[in-house]
Amino acid sequence: MSVSLLKKPQMHFGAITFFAKQHKDDVCGSNGLPLTPNSIIIYGRAQILKTIVNPYLCRYLDIIRGKHERTIAVSQYCGKPLSSFIEKSVFSFTDIKRIAYQVLQGLKELHSRNIVHHNLSSENILYENGNIKLFNYGLYYMTDNGKLVSFPIVQLLYTAPEVYLEEFKEIIANPKVDIWSLGIILAELTLNKLLWSSLILGQRIRKVLSLVQSTTSVFERIAREHNCYDRYQAIPADLKEIIEVCLNIYSEDRPTAAELLEKGIFDEFQVQKTDWLSLLKMYEIFTISELYYWWQLTGGDVLQELKRQGLIRSSPPILSLPHLVLIEGTILGQDRNPATLYDPKIVEMPMETLYERFKNISFSCYYPLIQTKSEIIAQSEPEPYDATGLPLVIKEKDPEYQFHRVILLRRLLHGYPFTRDLIVKEAEKDIPPLFRGDIWSALLNVRGDYERQYAKIDKATPTPTDRQIEVDIPRCHQYNELLSSMEGHKKLKRILKAWVNQNTQYVYWQGLDSLTAPFLYLNFNDEAKAFSCLSKFVPKYLHNFFLKDNSAVIEEYLAKFSQLIAFHDPVLANHLYEINFYPQLFAIPWFLTLFSHVFPLHKILHLWDKVLLGNSSFSLHIGLSVLTQLRDRLLNSGFNECILLFSDLPEVDIEKCVILSAETFQKTPGSITHREYENEEFKKTGELDISGVTLQDLKKERCPRISVSDLLELIRNSPDKAIVVDIRNITQFNRCSVRDSINIPFSSVCFSENKIENVGHHSNVLKDNLDKIVVVVGDEETDLELFPTFLLNCNVKFVCVLHGGFNILLPISPTILASQNHIS
Amino acid sequence: MSSGASGGGGGGGAASGGGNSNHQRGAAQRPNGQTQNKICQFKLVLLGESAVGKSSLVLRFVKGQFHEYQESTIGAAFLTQTICLDDTTVKFEIWDTAGQERYHSLAPMYYRGAQAAIVVYDITNQDTFGRAKTWVKELQRQASPTIVIALAGNKQDLANKRMVEYEEAQAYADENGLLFMETSAKTAMNVSEIFLAIARKLPKNDQSGGGGGGAGGSSQGRRLAEGDSGSRGPAGACCK
Ligand SMILES: Nc1nc2c(ncn2[C@@H]2O[C@H](COP(=O)(O)OP(=O)(O)OP(=O)(O)O)[C@@H](O)[C@H]2O)c(=O)[nH]1
Ligand SMILES: [Mg+2]
Repeated sequence: MSVSLLKKPQMHFGAITFFAKQHKDDVCGSNGLPLTPNSIIIYGRAQILKTIVNPYLCRYLDIIRGKHERTIAVSQYCGKPLSSFIEKSVFSFTDIKRIAYQVLQGLKELHSRNIVHHNLSSENILYENGNIKLFNYGLYYMTDNGKLVSFPIVQLLYTAPEVYLEEFKEIIANPKVDIWSLGIILAELTLNKLLWSSLILGQRIRKVLSLVQSTTSVFERIAREHNCYDRYQAIPADLKEIIEVCLNIYSEDRPTAAELLEKGIFDEFQVQKTDWLSLLKMYEIFTISELYYWWQLTGGDVLQELKRQGLIRSSPPILSLPHLVLIEGTILGQDRNPATLYDPKIVEMPMETLYERFKNISFSCYYPLIQTKSEIIAQSEPEPYDATGLPLVIKEKDPEYQFHRVILLRRLLHGYPFTRDLIVKEAEKDIPPLFRGDIWSALLNVRGDYERQYAKIDKATPTPTDRQIEVDIPRCHQYNELLSSMEGHKKLKRILKAWVNQNTQYVYWQGLDSLTAPFLYLNFNDEAKAFSCLSKFVPKYLHNFFLKDNSAVIEEYLAKFSQLIAFHDPVLANHLYEINFYPQLFAIPWFLTLFSHVFPLHKILHLWDKVLLGNSSFSLHIGLSVLTQLRDRLLNSGFNECILLFSDLPEVDIEKCVILSAETFQKTPGSITHREYENEEFKKTGELDISGVTLQDLKKERCPRISVSDLLELIRNSPDKAIVVDIRNITQFNRCSVRDSINIPFSSVCFSENKIENVGHHSNVLKDNLDKIVVVVGDEETDLELFPTFLLNCNVKFVCVLHGGFNILLPISPTILASQNHIS
Repeated sequence: MSSGASGGGGGGGAASGGGNSNHQRGAAQRPNGQTQNKICQFKLVLLGESAVGKSSLVLRFVKGQFHEYQESTIGAAFLTQTICLDDTTVKFEIWDTAGQERYHSLAPMYYRGAQAAIVVYDITNQDTFGRAKTWVKELQRQASPTIVIALAGNKQDLANKRMVEYEEAQAYADENGLLFMETSAKTAMNVSEIFLAIARKLPKNDQSGGGGGGAGGSSQGRRLAEGDSGSRGPAGACCK
């Protein structure tokens, strides 16, 4: 069965849990605000662990925060602790050498990342089929060298003696302590003995410290103490030497992991550098992190499992009451909660539900065909899981659907940038949350050596902008654990500084922090990518919004917004106009930050999923969709109520927003939202397009303009979707006019009253207009504001004005023109 | 004292969005039976360097809350609060502006036509006091000549990190005829007091000194007709 693909031995995971040190109640930071909880700091620090992929290290999958400063670390867990094999004489010396080699490989990886295990023992080395993986190696690192927890991170017997002698305050992580621990482990393995197993805690520590005094070899002394001298003598010299140097009591004389790996003894295990298999590993159809994701979707719940297996116990609150509280608040006689100590227990997560749920997924689904020239093959492909029509939130929670999406998108992402078109196509359906970060950067065209580029940028030199950045970051999406962690703050600051440094034409505007937040959140472990996404995003969607003087750009955008409202919803537009409710008063944060300062992260993600597929006018449509959702309340409110509504934006349904804005976007000819200040790179600048509209004019016009090319397209491709209203006089109209247009001579209309009947016998066509675009065509002699505004005031929908007037049609498109005289 | 922040405007922590429900009210509807109650509306604007606590002060005054991670303000935010002062009900229409220097160009849109302003600085940061003085100057030059200006030295709870002396600020305020208080949005100290002091100082005869039009055009204070649905821009004072 294909489910066997999921059942590989290394595809299992487990969790450990512990409590972070709690801040004393009422302690505030120097800014008078509460200190960041330690569990949040841990949460931020631990993220990087998830990026470590190494055959000798269990992969970290997730960090979860529970109640009361609890942290749970979920990671790969497979095989059995090495300790369970000791005293069973199962390992040959060659086996032991291989184990030493593999542990050293793991340590080398960690040490190269400045991570010290500090917790190494034969308990947390997992052994399976001749291979080992280190487990729980990140505890010391994520707790900032143990400073963020109230228990010591040591393995009594395995911990190097200098650790016990250190002063707590000046701990610096020294990778050599891991080498000592390895020495002890190898001693256990070679002597086939669990060391000092009969001693109690205090005695064990004394024992380790006593080794410092030994004048002879530490290893030999251990062997003698355990009556294993014979066995000691039988150990091959090269292996013995390794153990001796590991157990050097002077940490500076102990070799590093990398140095040890150079030794001849390990030659036989060295893997070739160009190992094809390991190269291919990068392109696996899925990894354990995808499996973990599916496991969660099928109902897997780490917290629940920890409770079920007794690792999280709740005790009645009354038991934790202090005996005495002094009036100033000092607490006396509160029992130490035993749960705050470290419980090394590991809880394995059951996989059965997942297997059961996925058992019918056929083998071929694991290898979806992504490109084929043959229609026949494409059609014979099994129908992938059909979820069309389901709401997005359901799709995101549907395990089978996410299985197919993840498998497919993972493959496509492997092929990026060559597969970009396919990725775009898939993204139009929906974006699987697991890969959102990568898919977004593909949509934004982030490429090549973005990491090097980022590394080169100066992110450290102080600048005058720093103060603003520093006061903004602690206010930016702080409900989110990642963004409120210390790591998050540091990263956000670096990215913003890098951006300011790289965009000398721009300046830092408040709000840029919020704009960066989604990218950082999605690429928390890839700061450079977050930066690149931001750098690609701004020119495409917010071109010139961050100029030092951006007023013209913003004003134009807001004027366009007013016009778009008028175009789609005259009733609302007229109401807002009457009560002087201008977009300037509420919509600046919307557009300047593309709603990232307005909505919480989870909403922004869904919104931007669509934004990234559209152009820079899309956010106008989002704005419109927000108004549409609040339409009834707005229509029934005066100025104050309206503005209050937006100061405290009520719950907005984002999925509705997305659908509404996609609808209006589709329905609106592109030139309706034409902006002079749009990025040239994305702007249409043909002769038939709009150009040269001054901001002054724009602000006067309540109805948008439409370009000739859009008009032509309308008339040619969907004439039933347009009503062309020619407002020149009858003579001109009869001489030459757009086919099927109607004539309402400008001079024949009385504008004093907003009554559509005033336009004469064509009024019904306009009055009953539901979905046709009303293009007003005039020329120099007709006023091009009064008439369209009149239609707008009469609540006629989709009114726009032909840019350039009638005459522009003459030379270009005789085919759509006709002389009425001839016809009649 | 016969005065205090009333619940009418959403005070006391109700998440009413700042009292949008009580726009229309006639004297006869006052619950306390004071039929001769006068109702005044004033436009008030908050100015000051970023992160000094403008939004926090407003939030404390309007909803009785304090958020440690108060989001920064972009553009401006609008809130209302009603307080009772002797026989008068005073409704504040509050514009909370963005503090970053760059948003400066927007500020006139909000202080135009305002009858009152609170210029805020952070007592732990000397620069913010300097910026507050600049704001005061600008108001004295550009805003309505009758505008009531209050100076608020915020974050008083951090007095142990004080960088701006109380006396210095008081002296400056006296020189310029400003109301002055040190406040703390965190502990609520002097927050409703400063708004009350402003309310007291504002002329409560009708047609009080609205300057030019507000952000939205309708200019001059005017009487608010019974049942007026409030279709008006963020403009001047209205008393009745
Ligand atoms: N200790 C203390 N902190 C305060 C006080 N008032 C505000 N803060 C904090 O100061 C920071 C800034 O407050 P805001 O209210 O956002 O400041 P602002 O003036 O509105 O800032 P902008 O919107 O950027 O102009 C926030 O983290 C607040 O929690 C106070 O009275 N005491
Ligand atoms: Mg603010």
